[in-house]
Amino acid sequence: MTPFVDPDLGKPADQLFGERLTRLTTALQLKQPDRIPIVLGAGYLLADMYGVTRQEQHENGETEIQMLLKAAEYFQPDSIFGAFNNPSASLIVGDRMTKFPGHGLDPNGSFQFVEGEYMKPEDYDAFIDDPADWAIRKYWPRVFPALEGLSLLPPLGMAAFGHYSLFSLGILTAPPVVQALQTLGKAAAAQAAVDARTVETTQRLAAAGFAPPPLAGSVIEAPFDFMSDTLRGMRGIMLDIHRRPEKLLAAMEKVLKFELEYAIAFSNATGLKTAFIPLHRGSDGFMSLPQFEKFYWPTLKAMQETLVENGIMPFVFYEGVWDQRLKYLAELPRGKTAGWFQFSDIFKVKEIVGDTMCIQGGMRNSMLQAGTAEEVREFTKRLCKEVGRGGGFIMSVGVGEMEGCRPDLVKIWIETTKEYGVYA
Amino acid sequence: MSDQLVQLIADMEEESALALVRRMLDQGVDPLAVLDDCRAAMSVVGQRFEAGEYFIPELILAGEMLKSISAEVKPRLQHAAGAKQGARVLLGTVKGDIHDIGKDIVNFMLDVNGFQVTDLGVDVPVATFVEKIEALQPPIVALSGFLTLSYTSMKETVDAIVAAGLRDKVKIMVGGGTIDQQVCDYVKADAFGKDAMAAVALAKQWTGGN
Repeated sequence: MTPFVDPDLGKPADQLFGERLTRLTTALQLKQPDRIPIVLGAGYLLADMYGVTRQEQHENGETEIQMLLKAAEYFQPDSIFGAFNNPSASLIVGDRMTKFPGHGLDPNGSFQFVEGEYMKPEDYDAFIDDPADWAIRKYWPRVFPALEGLSLLPPLGMAAFGHYSLFSLGILTAPPVVQALQTLGKAAAAQAAVDARTVETTQRLAAAGFAPPPLAGSVIEAPFDFMSDTLRGMRGIMLDIHRRPEKLLAAMEKVLKFELEYAIAFSNATGLKTAFIPLHRGSDGFMSLPQFEKFYWPTLKAMQETLVENGIMPFVFYEGVWDQRLKYLAELPRGKTAGWFQFSDIFKVKEIVGDTMCIQGGMRNSMLQAGTAEEVREFTKRLCKEVGRGGGFIMSVGVGEMEGCRPDLVKIWIETTKEYGVYA
Repeated sequence: MSDQLVQLIADMEEESALALVRRMLDQGVDPLAVLDDCRAAMSVVGQRFEAGEYFIPELILAGEMLKSISAEVKPRLQHAAGAKQGARVLLGTVKGDIHDIGKDIVNFMLDVNGFQVTDLGVDVPVATFVEKIEALQPPIVALSGFLTLSYTSMKETVDAIVAAGLRDKVKIMVGGGTIDQQVCDYVKADAFGKDAMAAVALAKQWTGGN
């Protein structure tokens, strides 16, 4: 066997950037690029490889950029991204629904969401009536304790009272309100700094020849998940299906409307033509197909269709297993959405939605952690041949996180993709 | 046995089921008989879950109904209901991972199939599994995990069980999230299950049908 020579070696960075961006864009449009693009959602693999704590990876932007550049140079993927999020704004507001390494977790723990019933059944009416007022005066003080003072604000609708609305301004001098507003200002500044880091990361990787990940854009959720993840919690939402289905449906219609407005405005403001939609409770196993047809799919489908009509590509993370639900995905507009599949049967995905959307995923995290070089090589070849067929495929692992993966196996996986993922 | 109560619970008729329980108790029906009906209904729920007719909304609602009915029944009980006789399963989500959905479903399904489940909760330290195995001597240990980090925690847990000299006393199953045969081999568990039904089948197989 002749040793593999990476075709990207020796090319100038600007040429590589152009080729990689074109490769990804072509695949996303459901067409056939020169070869299968590879996205490395490295996550904590970076901290593992370069010997820093995960806490530092989250909190020190420069450290993470350096690690991303090093890993990108070493693995030579088409695109790479690191750990999910920076905790600074969360820590300032006292966010109860996340745990970050070094804050409620070991410095080498994994970031996690703490799901809870942050919205009670009796909150539904207020939510449906005026979600913004409920969120700012009731929900934020509940989930972000440092913003407790916002509960003293008058109903936000009073702002529409023109001259008379100024009569309510005095409350803004009450110490808890002052404190809440100052805290909000600090959190905003911290988040703006994180946003600037994100932009800088993308620019420095681009200068080194690496394309931005295809999920870069606004983040929104399927309306059902929006109600479930950060509001009702899994237990609450599943009971709502039986106990208050009409209220749940009415709330989701509200959510759909303002999420779309947000995603379209975000796209107009930034020029990023993608909305990333990570899905959670739509996976096989959570609800029955009739329940899926009633509670999950209609608003998710409408969301994707409207985004497409507005020139935005929904990049959807199909978490869990969607094997029983793939036929619904085939209803989506052709070549206008993309799906990243976590643990579905990727060969079946290609068969059923391969003509509908670009597919990302394929490699199993478990294989890159516990497999052998030969297994990785053979499985990668099979992915290239069967899932890569005709284009519309982006190679990545199923999970947006590669902690524990063996760098030598990752290297073999990428090289095999470059060797066998070439279109004639 | 009130077939009507069993049916109402099994069909997710929450309000009617609770109303019937109150009527039965007022009419002097033995509270233990009501609990027996609940058990029979949960078994139907479990069967429907296995058949792919029921999903998580129904398991959660069934659990809620059971809780409300127990609250009605308990004040009228003269003595505690008899303890379960089935084999014990020690269950928990491994260190560093706080996901509980899959674990709770496994708990429910093992329970309705007659196993005594000791649920250690989430983010369970390696040492806790070892201590509980020593104290309770369960024939089966079930490790749950959702995050990819759980591969490593599962391995550490099994290694610790080996180091404590307890490995030959327990069968170990793993499951949840992206756990597959490769992870099972890696952590040196005895088997992996892709869902709660698989967990029940493994537990039955390991205990001679329970």
